[in-house]
Amino acid sequence: MIDSVLFIALPYLAVLVCIFGSIFRVKMARMSYSSLSSQFLESKTLAWGSLPWHIGIILIILAHFLAFLFPNNWQSLISNKSILLIIESAGLALGFACLFGLIVLTIRRITCAKIQAVTSKMDLFILFLLLAQIICGLGIALIHRWGAAWASGTLVPYLWSLCVLQPDTSYVTDMPHLVKTHIILAYVFLLVVPFSRLIHIFALPIHYLHRPPQQAIWNNPRHIEMHSLEIKAEEARREFIKGGVGIAAGLSLLSVGALDKIFQFFFGPRLSPKEESELMALKLERLKSTSEQRKLELERQTSKYILVASLDELKENEGKYFIDYQMSPALAFKDKNGLPIIVSAKCTHLGCTVGNEVNAEGKVLCPCHISFFDIHTGMPNADAPAKTPLPIFGWVLMDKSGKLLARRTSKGSIEGNTKSEIIAGANVYIVKSDEDKV
Amino acid sequence: MRTQDGILHILSRFFVERFPVDKMNFHYMVEQKAVPIHKMSWGYYTGGLTLFFLIIQIITGLFLLFYYQPTVSEAHLSVEYITKHVSGGALIRNMHTWSASCMIFFAMLHLLTAFAMKAFEKPREFTWIAGVLLLFITFTFGFTGYLLPWNQIAVNATKVGLQSVEAVGNYLPAFMSDWPHILRETFQGEASVGQSTLGRFYAMHVVLLPLVLMLLLGVHLLSVQLHGMSRGVDEEAKREEKFFPFFIFKDFSLWAIVFLILFILAWCVPFDSFLPYPLLAPYNAMGSTPAGIKPEWYFYFLYYPLEILPFWLVLLLTNLAILILLFTPWIFRGTSRKTLCLITVVASFYLVIMTIFGEQIYHLVKH
Repeated sequence: MIDSVLFIALPYLAVLVCIFGSIFRVKMARMSYSSLSSQFLESKTLAWGSLPWHIGIILIILAHFLAFLFPNNWQSLISNKSILLIIESAGLALGFACLFGLIVLTIRRITCAKIQAVTSKMDLFILFLLLAQIICGLGIALIHRWGAAWASGTLVPYLWSLCVLQPDTSYVTDMPHLVKTHIILAYVFLLVVPFSRLIHIFALPIHYLHRPPQQAIWNNPRHIEMHSLEIKAEEARREFIKGGVGIAAGLSLLSVGALDKIFQFFFGPRLSPKEESELMALKLERLKSTSEQRKLELERQTSKYILVASLDELKENEGKYFIDYQMSPALAFKDKNGLPIIVSAKCTHLGCTVGNEVNAEGKVLCPCHISFFDIHTGMPNADAPAKTPLPIFGWVLMDKSGKLLARRTSKGSIEGNTKSEIIAGANVYIVKSDEDKV
Repeated sequence: MRTQDGILHILSRFFVERFPVDKMNFHYMVEQKAVPIHKMSWGYYTGGLTLFFLIIQIITGLFLLFYYQPTVSEAHLSVEYITKHVSGGALIRNMHTWSASCMIFFAMLHLLTAFAMKAFEKPREFTWIAGVLLLFITFTFGFTGYLLPWNQIAVNATKVGLQSVEAVGNYLPAFMSDWPHILRETFQGEASVGQSTLGRFYAMHVVLLPLVLMLLLGVHLLSVQLHGMSRGVDEEAKREEKFFPFFIFKDFSLWAIVFLILFILAWCVPFDSFLPYPLLAPYNAMGSTPAGIKPEWYFYFLYYPLEILPFWLVLLLTNLAILILLFTPWIFRGTSRKTLCLITVVASFYLVIMTIFGEQIYHLVKH
C-alpha cells in the first residue's frame, strides 16, 4: 500500500503539479520565473559553490536521462568494462563536486549577512533537500556500486512503466532503502519546483555560452573607467572556463579510448602460449641468421678459399648471391662456355645490391637508380648513374678432394684444364689471393 | 693591448645586447611580453607547433624505448612486437612517425615564416642561428630514426645516404679527399651498414641528439622570450595582445586541436600504409635491394636534385644554401620584408614542387 502511494501516486501527482504549477506561475508571476540571483550581493564564494555544483549536477542529470531515454544504447555502451568504469568514476567525481559546491553554497547562505537578508524558508528547505539527495546518490554510488549497470534493468523499466501508464512497482519494492529514498526525493523535487526558485531550471540559459559578456555598471565616471578592465578580466575568465571545459572534455574522451590502453602499454602484453612460442621461434630464426652472418665474417677473415656453390648449381640467366671477402654481396653465374662468372653485386653508384636476373642483353639491373651492368665486363650502360664497372672476381675450381682444377686470376686470365668432363661436379670458390699455382 | 681591450669590450657588449641579464625575470619575459596582431600573426604559431610535436616525439619516443631493441636480429622483431602485441603500441608508433613528419614540416614552415617576417633582425641573430641548427638536428633525427626499424627500405636508404657522403671526397683537395670516407666509416662503424651502425644511430637518436637539441632549444626559447616576438611586418603594428594569458592560451587551444587531428591520423592511417610490403620486410643482407628505395618525403627536395643534376652542382648549391641560412642575419640585414617575402615564396614553391612532383620530374628528365 505504502509502496503504491510512494511509487505510483506520488510520481503522477508530482509530474502534474510540476507541469501545471510551473505553467501557472510563469503566466501569473512572470518576474518570479528566475533563480533569484544573489551574485550582486556576493560573488566570490558564489563562484566556488555555484560552478562545481551546476557543472556536476547538469552532467549527472544528463547521464540519468540518457540511461532512461535510450536504455538499449546505454546498455551496449556500459557492457564495455572500461567505459562502465569511466562512467562510474566520472559520476562519483561529479557527485563529489556537487557536494563540495553545495556545502560552499550552504555555508554562504547561512553565514553571509547580505545573503541572509534575501533567504527564504523555502530556499533553506531546498538546500536541505539537495544535500540529502546528493548524499543519497553518493551513498548509492559507493555502497551499491555499478548503478549505471543495474539501474538500466530495474529503475529504467519502472520509470517506463510509469510513462506508459501501466505502473509496475515490482521493480522497486525490493530495492535498498537508500535507493528508494533517492527516488522519492526526486519526486519531491518535482513537486516543489513550481513553489521555489528551482523553477529556474526551465530557463535554460544556453545563449549564455556564446553571447558576449554583459555587466551592469553604475553611471559614474569612476565606474566607467573600471568598466573596460572588468570586461577584460571577465573575458579572460570566460575563455579560461571554456578552455578548461574543453580540456576536461578532451581528456575524458581520450580516457575513454586510450587511457586504459596506455596503462596496459606499460603493463606489457599478455600473450597466449601459442603466440609466445611463435614469437620465440621467430626470434630464434633471426638470431640464427645473424649468427650465420657472423660465421661468414669469421670464415672470410681466416680462410683462404670461400665456397660459392657447386658448378652445377650456377645458371646462365639467374645469379646466385653470396658474400664476398669484403662482406658485400656478390653474384655467381655460369657462362656459355660452362665456366663461372663472379661479379660484385654492390652497385658502384651508391652501394645498393644489384638484382640477379640477367636480361636478354646479358645485363643485371640495380633497382635503386636504374643502372644496368654487363655481367661479363661489369660495365654499366652509358647513361647510368653508376660510372665505374662492377669488379669481376677471380675464382678457382676444385674437385671434391680439394684438388685445384682451374682458376681465373683477378687479372682475367684463365689457367688450368677447363674441359667440361674434368670440371663437371667441381666446386666454385673465390680466393683471397692469386698465389696458388694450378 | 688596447685593441685587445677593444675587442673584448665589443664582444661583451655584443653578448650583453643579445642576452640582457637584467631582463631575465618573469615580469619581463612573460608578463610584459606582447604579441603584435597583423596579417602575418599566424606565423607566430608555427614555432609553438614545432615545439608541440617535439613534446609528442619525446613522450612517444620514451614509450617506444620500453620495447625497442637495437640489435640487427631483434630490431625489426621488436618493432613488430610493439605494433602487433603491445597494447596501444601501434598507435604510439604511428603517432611517433606522423608527429616526426609534422615536426619537420612545421620546423621548415617556421624557418620560412621567420625569414619572411625578418625575425632574425638584431638582436635576434642567435635565435635565428640556433633555429637553423635545430632544423639540421631535426633532419638528423629523421635520418637516424629512419634506420631503427631495420627493414629493407630503412637499411638501404641509409646505405645510399651514407654513400652520398663519400662521393663528396672526389671534389675535395687531395689531402682531404679521404675525409668523407673516414667520416662515413665513423658513423657506420664497419665496412657496411650493420650492427655498429644501428648502435651508433640509436645512441645518436635517443641520447646525443636530444641533449644537443635541448641545449639549443634552451638558447632559442630563452632569446625568444627575452627579445619578444619580432615585429613581423614593415609598418608599425596597430594592435598587440598580451603573451600571457591571451596568446599562450590561443597557442594551447591550437595544440589541443592539432593533437586531436594527430591522434585521429595515427589511429586511422598507419604510416606504413604508404609503402609496399617488400620495403618493410626485415633487412636481408644476402638478397637484392628491392625496387623503390627512397628517403622520407622531407629529403625529396635534396634527393631528386641529386638524382637529376650533376653531383658537384648539388653539393655546391647545398653548401651555399647552408652558408646563406647561417649568415642570414647579416646578409639580409637591409632587405625589406617585401623582398624577403618574395624570396620565401620562391623557396617554398621549390620545396613544394620538389616534394610533390619530384618523382615525376625525375622520370621526365631521365626517360
